Amino acid sequence: MPASCFQPREQTHRTSLAAIRTKAATRDRRFKYVLVAPSIFVLLLIGIFPLIYLIVVSFQNITMTDMDTSFQGLLNYRQMVNDTRMWQALLHTVIFTAIALPIELVLGLAMAQLFIDRIPGRQVFVALLVLPVVISPIVAGATWSLMFDNRFGPINQIIGWLIGGEATILWTINPNLVYPAILVAEVWQWTPFMFLLLLAALSAVDKSQLEAASIDGAGWWRTFFRIVLPAIWPVMAIAILIRGLDLFRLFDIVWALTRGGPGTMTETISIFAYVKGFQQFDTSFTAAVALMIIVLLSIVVMAALKRVELAR
Amino acid sequence: MKQAQFGLRAVAALFAVATLAWSTGAAAQSAAQRAVDAAKPLCAGGKTITIVWEAGLQSLDPLNFSGPKWEQLTGCKVKVVEAPVSEMFTKIMQEFRAGTGAYDALNVIPAWMPDLAQAGALEVLDPYVEKYGYAKELQTIAATYRDNQMKVNGKIYGFPDDGDVFIFYYRKDLFARDDLKKAFKAKHGYDLAPPKTWKQFDDIGSFFTEALKSEGIYGASMFRESGYGNFMFQERFRNEGGKFFDANMKATINSPAGVKVLTEWRNENRFMPPGVEKFGFVENLAVFLEGKSAMTISWPPYGRFAAGYLSEEKALSWVPKSKIAGKVGYTLPPGGHPELAAGFALSVAAGSKQKEAAYLFIQWLNSEDTSNQRVQLPYALRDPFRDSHFTNPGYLKLWPDAKDYLAALQAASKTGLLDLSLIQTDKYEEALRQGISRLWAGEDPKKILDDIAKQWDEVTAKVGVEKQKAVYSAWAAKSGAYPK
Repeated sequence: MPASCFQPREQTHRTSLAAIRTKAATRDRRFKYVLVAPSIFVLLLIGIFPLIYLIVVSFQNITMTDMDTSFQGLLNYRQMVNDTRMWQALLHTVIFTAIALPIELVLGLAMAQLFIDRIPGRQVFVALLVLPVVISPIVAGATWSLMFDNRFGPINQIIGWLIGGEATILWTINPNLVYPAILVAEVWQWTPFMFLLLLAALSAVDKSQLEAASIDGAGWWRTFFRIVLPAIWPVMAIAILIRGLDLFRLFDIVWALTRGGPGTMTETISIFAYVKGFQQFDTSFTAAVALMIIVLLSIVVMAALKRVELAR
Repeated sequence: MKQAQFGLRAVAALFAVATLAWSTGAAAQSAAQRAVDAAKPLCAGGKTITIVWEAGLQSLDPLNFSGPKWEQLTGCKVKVVEAPVSEMFTKIMQEFRAGTGAYDALNVIPAWMPDLAQAGALEVLDPYVEKYGYAKELQTIAATYRDNQMKVNGKIYGFPDDGDVFIFYYRKDLFARDDLKKAFKAKHGYDLAPPKTWKQFDDIGSFFTEALKSEGIYGASMFRESGYGNFMFQERFRNEGGKFFDANMKATINSPAGVKVLTEWRNENRFMPPGVEKFGFVENLAVFLEGKSAMTISWPPYGRFAAGYLSEEKALSWVPKSKIAGKVGYTLPPGGHPELAAGFALSVAAGSKQKEAAYLFIQWLNSEDTSNQRVQLPYALRDPFRDSHFTNPGYLKLWPDAKDYLAALQAASKTGLLDLSLIQTDKYEEALRQGISRLWAGEDPKKILDDIAKQWDEVTAKVGVEKQKAVYSAWAAKSGAYPK
């Protein structure tokens, strides 16, 4: 019997088999959806609901000290756009980020390079260097506030010894010194974070490539830029992103040192939002500010992730 | 018929006698005892009253003294929720909005009262005062506190419970030194004595700093940190004749009086310890108690700490040991109208589920009997606020100069000036605080005050000019708003 005689039957069999498979796959897919549905629901509830509520509140007139909660359209957004103090706070935040981030990156990388080779006491040093990261930022801020204190702080004391007289430097009041003071505290606390991530990344660089480059006569800089940097770049990008976002939310250290002063000279966007929302109870206005921050950061994060090709 | 009439008269007479006897007995009973008697049945079954209190020394009063005593007397436990002053308003408002009823009684800074009353966070106390016969004892609270820190729109929202007032402290041993008296008279042409004007303060301060340099003593030290400076400015600005707003509710803080105050502040720093710009309560206290400053202005506890009163008290171990005990004089600050800076009033939370019990607790706390004990607690920072506190025989004997101290406090209570109290007071104060910190950063006083006035006008416009004007007018009509 020619084989073709069996074709229709076989075809039917295949078709029904495919149908069964499709059906099973659909059932399987549905079952998966059922399984993940509760967690998706919870995620939406805790992730999306607050965001929607934030948007709703930003169009209302909630001030906490008043019973009026009426909708007032775009009034909060208009006020926000016209609020010079808010724009200044945003500018201060950008300044802190633009200065602290490169310093932390370069110092972190330099320290990681230093510790990549096995040196005596390496583990102890690494553990000590990482200590600032585990301290709560508000505690770090309070500690630096004492360090900079003009009466009891060691910094003025040491300067006094060096100049051979009493040093009364008002680090957190003098407009020329207040930014450096905050940046020192910030860099002190978070450079070890960069160091730790970059040390891990550097440890994973293929040694054979480095040896090959060395045999080929490539210098240190050439090796670094052509082999090391591309190898550690994904980790470095993530480290920059995390620290960049953290710096954009900078609050604790500045609050402990200056509370945003003198005047509003060091007020960051987080401090501005805190003061408006939790000291002056402009709840709806603060919601508008928070939404603006969320939108801004989302754009930055998406652009950054796209750039480092992590969001594909 | 006659017999019946006689019988009726006899019953009426008996009723009248019984009523008289009962009312006389009730009147003889103190407000504290009335509160205890009324609370006992309410507390049966072990209720807990939750009260918000300033964290730190202040809260040792309910934790160590009044809380345990109230439990012993009535059976009601007292739970103390401690919060720093800067967070108390936020906590109270957030709890009220959440509507959990977690707080029963509150410590409220009188300047917050309009905001809290408008929000509905405070219970109106008039019906309770009447019900539990507290009106008479309220009248014996020193007039300044009673007339200014108790009511909003004619209703009682809190009982003034802390005589916070700025007093001028000076080193009487230095003012009495013959060499200094002679040199000062020769230089300035008038006798060395505690200053009555800010010009005299400037003269004396710079003279002392120069004359006592070798002894490491500065002419004066003051609160300059912006949070404290806010109170200092409000006091001095009004003593210089300044008004916060004009008739149209436009801010006038940038008037010549304001500029004068900020300009003089900066000039005075030259005879104060280096870094005075950062001085708050503790920094200033340390310098004064170490004997490194001849004059200062602060709240009443400075007087007790300087006298070394119960310095061995464990809770006061953080206070530097006084090197100037017995050498401190007390008087009113230059200008004669000290700031009634902050202070506390006791209120009942509108959201409480046991308002009656909470009220009775604060009546007992605030009463003549209990408050006389509380203001003498060495560790708890409650300061004399009743007429009887200033003349309390026990208090007068607490240290050798206690009578002078109490006399100064009593004088201050008669001329004290209220903190500015409006709707959203903190926004006005915040602008002022920022302005003061800008002063220490070297900015021009006039420019700073112009900016503050602009910010104040913006806040007023946002609240509503007419609405705020009504609140300000009510505040300005109080006896302690401006010097009379």
